[in-house]
Amino acid sequence: MKPTGKELKTMQRMQPGVQTLSGFLGDDTRPLNEIIQDDSVVLDKLGRSREEIAKRMESLTQASWDSYLEGILVEGKYQVQTEVYRGRMPCPFGHPGIYRKAVTTLTNQENGITVVWTSLSMHMIGAHGFFEGRGSAYRLEPETLIKALFD
Amino acid sequence: MLSIILKDIGVITGVSGILAILLVIAERWLNNYGDCKINVNDKRELTVRGGSSLLNSLSEAQVFLPSACGGRGSCGACKCKVLEGGGPVLPTEKPFLSEAELADHVRLSCQVKVKSDVSIVIPESIFNIREFKSVVTEIIDYTYDIKGFTFELEPGETIDFQAGQYVQLISEPYAKVKQGVTRAYSISSKPDTNNAIQLIIRLVPEGICSTWAHTQLKVGDKVRFTGPYGDFYLRDTDADILFVAGGSGKAPIKSMLEHLAVTGTNRKMTYFFGARTPKDLYLTEEMESFEKVFDDFAYVPVLSHAEPSDNWKGKTGFVMPFFKDAIRDPKNTEAYLCGSPGMIGAVTKSLTELGVPKEKIYFDSFG
Repeated sequence: MKPTGKELKTMQRMQPGVQTLSGFLGDDTRPLNEIIQDDSVVLDKLGRSREEIAKRMESLTQASWDSYLEGILVEGKYQVQTEVYRGRMPCPFGHPGIYRKAVTTLTNQENGITVVWTSLSMHMIGAHGFFEGRGSAYRLEPETLIKALFD
Repeated sequence: MLSIILKDIGVITGVSGILAILLVIAERWLNNYGDCKINVNDKRELTVRGGSSLLNSLSEAQVFLPSACGGRGSCGACKCKVLEGGGPVLPTEKPFLSEAELADHVRLSCQVKVKSDVSIVIPESIFNIREFKSVVTEIIDYTYDIKGFTFELEPGETIDFQAGQYVQLISEPYAKVKQGVTRAYSISSKPDTNNAIQLIIRLVPEGICSTWAHTQLKVGDKVRFTGPYGDFYLRDTDADILFVAGGSGKAPIKSMLEHLAVTGTNRKMTYFFGARTPKDLYLTEEMESFEKVFDDFAYVPVLSHAEPSDNWKGKTGFVMPFFKDAIRDPKNTEAYLCGSPGMIGAVTKSLTELGVPKEKIYFDSFG
């Protein structure tokens, strides 16, 4: 499907050096709607919704947020730590609101999977189903993320 | 047959061309608002070229409202009262405005287009905010991801700020970054040296401005910034002080201490600096040296992840358990906090439980 004007504008904001150093699309050459659609197919296959995933990420992030210097062990198996940096960032999709520059690292100690996300990642997954383009700094493979969060 | 097709194509192309020209001309006419006047606080009148946003128009007239998103209507930081002109409130503004603000004519200046004369109200302190041109005179590596930068202003220029305030640094294009961005950093030097400022900048992963500062800036480079901004500053009282900071949150506290060293004080002060490991500590000797400058000052670094191999002899864990011994009269204690929101929340909770009035707890939570 040909990208709409709005999508082109969003993709423009996702380019390297516009909002972040290397952008949100990585070396992915697919149009934005195709990136989102392909990941959505994986979610359907695995029986998880983007909202459910974002909610889970938010609750784990919140737990680590409260223990700001230490990492925290949640539910006996998720080691979670959030590093907060100065500043905030807008959503490249043009949503109102700005998101803290915070990086959360989660390790599922049972299966050994480690995933890293930002405050903006949680919003973009929950509100837009966007897990970032392949090769971007914070790309989250839906299958890996689901294994990390729900296994 | 072919000639008919070619003729039709020619007619369509010609009509399209004429329409395009008409559109360009119409746009020039329709978007030409001429000069517009912005009445500010009933005290100043600025003449600007109409058609731009109020935020940009004010900026071009050297009146700098704070903005964290560069005028995209995403941060809500550039609020001001628009009493006349400005048109109706846009849907893009409403999520940022409370009922009371809407009733009080508050708008997002980045969303208000100046198409006619406008009358606005902004805080008087905004007039102190200016754009400064400077030269990098010193770069110090404090830790593996924190550097200190000194920016000397152009000859004859001075900056008037309060210890604890911040500036917005304007980065230049580099590598894949085609446009400069502005980012907020606390001033770490004392206001008494007003021909230069120092900033302490932590490298943010994927950060455009901090990466520029860390990898591109060198001594002699020209740098622009606007400021000063913010209401996190040292209050002139005789109350005891508790400073609490983490990471690059040391910057405004350093400014406050250096300022107090110049003005002199006999206030009881304790400074807790929370870090993970010894490699996250910096400026330790400088902070400890204040113990000799002030009558009653203690610098207390606290590590949360000290390993036995670190041979750390100081305090460990969180900073909160140590507050009790540092506070002699909670009601007469002010706290100045700078760090992550998690730290601010935990410290504020602890201090209020110990009886420190909430209104005396001032903080900068890495905005």
